[in-house]
Amino acid sequence: MDRLSLLLMLAMALFVLGLLGVIVRRNLLVMLMCMELMMNGVNLSLVTFAQQHAEPAGAVLVFLIFVVAAAEIALAIPIVLLLSRRRHTLDVGAYSELKG
Amino acid sequence: MHTLALIVLAPLAGFLINGLLGRRLGERGVAIVGCALPLAAFVLTLQAFASLLASGAPVQEVAYTWAQFGARKLEIAFYLDRLSGVMTLVVTGVGTAIHVYSVGYMKGDESYARYFAYLNLFLFFMLLLVLGRSLLVLFVGWEGVGLASYLLIGFWFSDPEKAAAGKKAFIANRIGDAAFLIGMFALWATLGTLDLPTINETLARGVGAAVPVGLVALMLLIGATGKSAQIPLYVWLPDAMAGPTPVSALIHAATMVTAGVYLIARLPALYLAAPDVALLVSAVGAATALLAATIAVVQTDIKKVLAYSTISQLGLMFVALGVGAYAVAVFHVVTHAFFKACLFLGAGSVIHALSGEQDIRRMGGLARRIPITFATFAIATAAIAGLPPLAGFFSKDEILWFAAASPHGSWLLWAVASLASLLTAFYMFRLLWLVFFGSSRLTHEAEHHLHESPWIMTGVLVLLAALSAVGGFFPIPHFLEAQLPLPEVPQRLAHLQWPLIGVAVALALAGLAAAAWLYGGDGRRAQGMAAHFPAAHRLVSAKFYIDEIYQALLMKPLLWISDWVFLRLGDRLLIDGSLDGLAGLARRSAGRLSRVQSGNLQWYVLFALAGIVGALLWIWRHV
Amino acid sequence: MMDALLLHLDDALLAFFGLGALTGGVLMLVLREPMRVAMALVSTMVFLGGIYGLVGVHFIAAFQVLIYVGAVMVFMVYVIMLLDKRDSSMRRRYTRATVALGAVAAAGVLLLGLTAVVARAPAAMGKLRSTSFSLQDFATAFLREYWLQFELTSVLLLAAVVAAIALMKGSGESRG
Repeated sequence: MDRLSLLLMLAMALFVLGLLGVIVRRNLLVMLMCMELMMNGVNLSLVTFAQQHAEPAGAVLVFLIFVVAAAEIALAIPIVLLLSRRRHTLDVGAYSELKG
Repeated sequence: MHTLALIVLAPLAGFLINGLLGRRLGERGVAIVGCALPLAAFVLTLQAFASLLASGAPVQEVAYTWAQFGARKLEIAFYLDRLSGVMTLVVTGVGTAIHVYSVGYMKGDESYARYFAYLNLFLFFMLLLVLGRSLLVLFVGWEGVGLASYLLIGFWFSDPEKAAAGKKAFIANRIGDAAFLIGMFALWATLGTLDLPTINETLARGVGAAVPVGLVALMLLIGATGKSAQIPLYVWLPDAMAGPTPVSALIHAATMVTAGVYLIARLPALYLAAPDVALLVSAVGAATALLAATIAVVQTDIKKVLAYSTISQLGLMFVALGVGAYAVAVFHVVTHAFFKACLFLGAGSVIHALSGEQDIRRMGGLARRIPITFATFAIATAAIAGLPPLAGFFSKDEILWFAAASPHGSWLLWAVASLASLLTAFYMFRLLWLVFFGSSRLTHEAEHHLHESPWIMTGVLVLLAALSAVGGFFPIPHFLEAQLPLPEVPQRLAHLQWPLIGVAVALALAGLAAAAWLYGGDGRRAQGMAAHFPAAHRLVSAKFYIDEIYQALLMKPLLWISDWVFLRLGDRLLIDGSLDGLAGLARRSAGRLSRVQSGNLQWYVLFALAGIVGALLWIWRHV
Repeated sequence: MMDALLLHLDDALLAFFGLGALTGGVLMLVLREPMRVAMALVSTMVFLGGIYGLVGVHFIAAFQVLIYVGAVMVFMVYVIMLLDKRDSSMRRRYTRATVALGAVAAAGVLLLGLTAVVARAPAAMGKLRSTSFSLQDFATAFLREYWLQFELTSVLLLAAVVAAIALMKGSGESRG
C-alpha cells in the first residue's frame, strides 16, 4: 500500500468520523467541531490530489477553504451563543422547533 | 306550404308571449293573445282539412331531420290524414272554446298570464302529439302534455294538496311512459323506424316478423293506461280535479286523456297482429268502465263525479279499440269531447255562481235561478246517458253493438259495458237532480251571491251543448272507415242490431227513472238506500280503498327502500363512509409520516447520510 | 531497527502523524467535556499540519497551524470557556436513537470509499510526487489563474464582517 492510498484512506476516515460525530453528539459546540474535522478531512484529500497531479489548483482550493472556514466559524459561534441565551442549554434536543 | 307546422307553432307563440310579457300586457292583452292564437290554429286546421278532402291524400310536412344513422332517420314531420284531421279539429276547436270560457272563469286571478301561457303550452304539445308522423314526435307531445297537466293541476301551488295532486298525476303518467319507451325501443331495434305510416304498412303486409308485436302492443297499452286513466294507473285523474275547472274540461276530459285512445287507434295493424293484447285492451276498458261508474254513484263533489265519469267513458272507448272498432272509438272521443267539456264547463259555471261551492249536498233548486247553465247541463247529461237523437246515443250505441257483434267481442263484454252505461245514466241524472232540482240546500252566503255566469262563459256552454245535440250526425266512423276499417260482423248476428239499440235506450231511460225516483222530492229515499247497505256504501265511497292499497303496497316499500337501503346503507354508510374512510386514512397516515419531521437536526443528517450511502451503492453497482 | 527507521523516516513519520490524527478524531467522539474535545481537535489539526509538511506543501502546513489552530480553535476554546455549562449534554453525550444507525451508515460509507480506493490498481493512480511547492509558485498561480476566486473570497470576508456587525446589533437590541 503506497502513500497515496494511505493518505486517501485517512482523509476518508476523518471525514466519516466527523459526520458520525455530527449525528451522534448532543452538544452544539462539539457538533461544530466535528464539522471542522470533516473539513480537515476534505483538505487532506485535496492536498493529496494536488500532489498526485502536480497541480497547484488543489492547494489554492485548500487555502480558500481556510478562509471560508475562518469566516464561517466566526459567525457560527456567535449564532450558537445567541441561541444558547434563549434556551439556556447547549443540548441539541432543545432546538426542535421544526418539529411536525 | 307549412300549414301543419304553423298549426303546431301558433300556440307555442302564445305560450312565449304570455309567459314572458304577460305582466305587461294586462288581463285584456293576455286574453286576446291567449284566444287568438288557438283560433288561428283552428282556422289553419280547417284549411288543411279542406285540402285533405280535396286531394284525398294525407298532408305531410317534414320540418326537420333530427338525426341520421346511415340508412335510418329520425325526423320531425307532421302528418294530417283522416284520423289526425278529426283529432286536430277537435283539439283546436274545443280548445279555443275553452280558452274563451277561461277568460271569464279566471277573471281576477293573480296568475292570469301564467294560466293562459300554460294552456297554450298544453295546446302546442297536444298538437305535436296528434300531428306527429313518428312515434318519437308523438312521444315528445305525450310527455309535454303530461308536463302541462302537472303545471295546470298544481296551478294554485301554494296549497300543498293541490301541488301534491299535480305531482301524483305526473308520477303516475311517468310509469306509463316508461312502458311506452320500452315499446318504442323494441320497435326501433327490430323494425328500424318509428314512422307511423311505415309501421302500419309493414305490419299490415305481414313482413314484420322480427317485431315482437305482443310486447310492443302491451307496452304501448300500459303507456295508454297511464295517460288515459285506465286500470291500474287511473288514480291520478280524480285528484287532478284540484286544478281550475276549464283545465279539467280541456285536459282531463276532451283532449289529453284521449291521447291513449289515439295512440292505439294510430297503430291498428299492430293490435290486429296481437289479438291477445287486443283482448286485454277491451278487458281493461270494460273493467275500468264498471269500476269508475260504481264509484261515481256515491261521489259528493260535482267535479269528482265528472272525473269518474270520464274514466268510465274512456273505458268504453278502450272496449271499442279492443274489439277492433277503431273508428267507433274515435267517434266516441269526438262526441265525448263535446258533452264532457260542456258538463265540466257547466260545473264550472255552477261553482262560479255559488262562489266556489263544489259539494252537491249543499246545492239544489238551481234550475230556475241559473237557467242557461241548467239547460246546457241537462242537454249534455242526456247526451252522455245515451238518449236519442243526441250525440252520445250514436257513439255509445256503436260501441255496444261492436262489443257484442265483432269477432273479437263477446256477450260478456257487452253485458259489462251495458251495465256501465246503465250506471252512467243513473249517476248523471242523480247529479242533475241533486244540483238543479229539489229544494235549495245552499248556504246563506252562496244564496246571497247567486248569479248566472257572464255571457262569455254561457256562450261557450251553448255552443258545446249544440254540438252535443247534433254531433252524432257527423258521419265520422264512415269517414274514417277508409283508413280504419270496421270489423266484419258475422251474418247470424246482423239482425240483432236494432233490438240491441232498443235495449240500450231502455237502459238509459231506466237509469233516468231510478235517479228521479231516488233523488226526486226531498231525496230521503236515497239516504234510506244508503242506510240499508252501510258496508257497501262505505266501500264504494272510499273508492274501493285503491289509493290506500297503492300506498301500502307500493309507496311504503319504496319509501322504506329509499330510506334504509339507499340513504342509510348506500349513501351514508357506503359512499360517505368510503370517502370519509379514505380521508381518515390519509389523515392518519399523514400523521404517522409526519413524525419524520422531528425537528431533531441529527436525524436529518442521518437521513442525508443514509441517502449518500444509497447513492454510493448505486454508483458502485452501475458505474 | 534504527537504521530501518532512519531509512524510511518519511514513511514512519507519515504513519505516526496519520495515527495521531486518527486517534484525535476518535477521541473527539468519545470524550465527554467540550474542552477536551477541543484539545483533541487541536491535536488532530497539528498532526495534519505535519502531514502537509511531509507531503511537500509547507506553506499550507504553516497556514493550517496559523489559521486553523491559531484562529479557529482559539476562538472555539474561548467560547467553550464562556459557555461551559453543566447542562444535559454532559450527562447524555449521545442521541441514543441515532447511534446504531449512524454507526452502520458511517461504516457503510467508509467501506465503500475504501474499496473504491483499494480496488483501483495502485499503478493507475500514479505515485505521490515529492516535489514541494514553493510559496512563490503558489502566489503566482494564485494571482494569475485563480485571481477571481481571490476576489470572491475578499467579498466573502466583507460579508462575514457585515454579518458579524448585524449579529452584534441584533443581540444588543434584544438585551436593551
